[in-house]
Amino acid sequence: MRSTDLPRIIAALKEPIQLFVRDSRVRVSLLINRSGQVLAQHGFTSSYEVMNVASLAAAAHASSRALADITQSGGWTHLHHAGERHELFLAPLGTPVEPLILVTIFDSESSLGLVQLFFHQLADRVSGLPELQSARASADQKSFEHDLEAGVERAFGTRRDA
Amino acid sequence: MNGAYRDALERVSRVPGVRGALVVLADDGVPVVEELQSDVSGAAIAALAAALFRRTGLAAGSADFGALETLQLEADGGQVLIGGAGELIVVALISDDAQIGRARVEVVRAAQSLRAGPALS
Repeated sequence: MRSTDLPRIIAALKEPIQLFVRDSRVRVSLLINRSGQVLAQHGFTSSYEVMNVASLAAAAHASSRALADITQSGGWTHLHHAGERHELFLAPLGTPVEPLILVTIFDSESSLGLVQLFFHQLADRVSGLPELQSARASADQKSFEHDLEAGVERAFGTRRDA
Repeated sequence: MNGAYRDALERVSRVPGVRGALVVLADDGVPVVEELQSDVSGAAIAALAAALFRRTGLAAGSADFGALETLQLEADGGQVLIGGAGELIVVALISDDAQIGRARVEVVRAAQSLRAGPALS
């Protein structure tokens, strides 16, 4: 995803992620691309926390994809980790420009079933966004670090340049 | 164990007017087994019914009514019956013209039989 497209894509993703959080009653949510670039977030209080979760989630996604390839599982639909108090849900969603990954953490206020249900609605909303229809994928890896930082800063509203 | 779930569901599904039935993990809201018409999403019913049952159970607890055993939701086009079975719930989708009383008895029986079965973990 090109950095010039980021501001309007981040703005467009705000509503779908807010609806998802409201409907599924999850605590925190993050929408990233496969490189760990942050496109939307809800519930996180520090950018440091977001950076960590985003990079770890991107790594988990890459590992899961590799595992799926090795086992010839034909890709995976979601990854769910049930902890004692919190649960983690990680799922890829397709968009016209590039696949995105939803990372969400929830507790007993929600459930795996609710998260799955509203994830499908989120995926439909996101893939139908006109801002994503017209955006293009990143041309090279040079801008990766710049885009990663820009994504986090824009998701927190601390960056103003386009 | 899957046979016990299927048996429980079959008894519910056999009642005339029952459009479908599911056994659902109560905490996760995920279907364990289901017998549904093709136009009904089992995953959506399971997730929403489990959330509804859990929240109503919390309300019943707050009102000092004890544990919630069954929940009956009436809508314009039919009813949803939910029976609590510990870690599981039994959900039945019922048409307006169904034998509601019989369906209710079978949902309660199914829940009781699952509750009496071995724990999931």
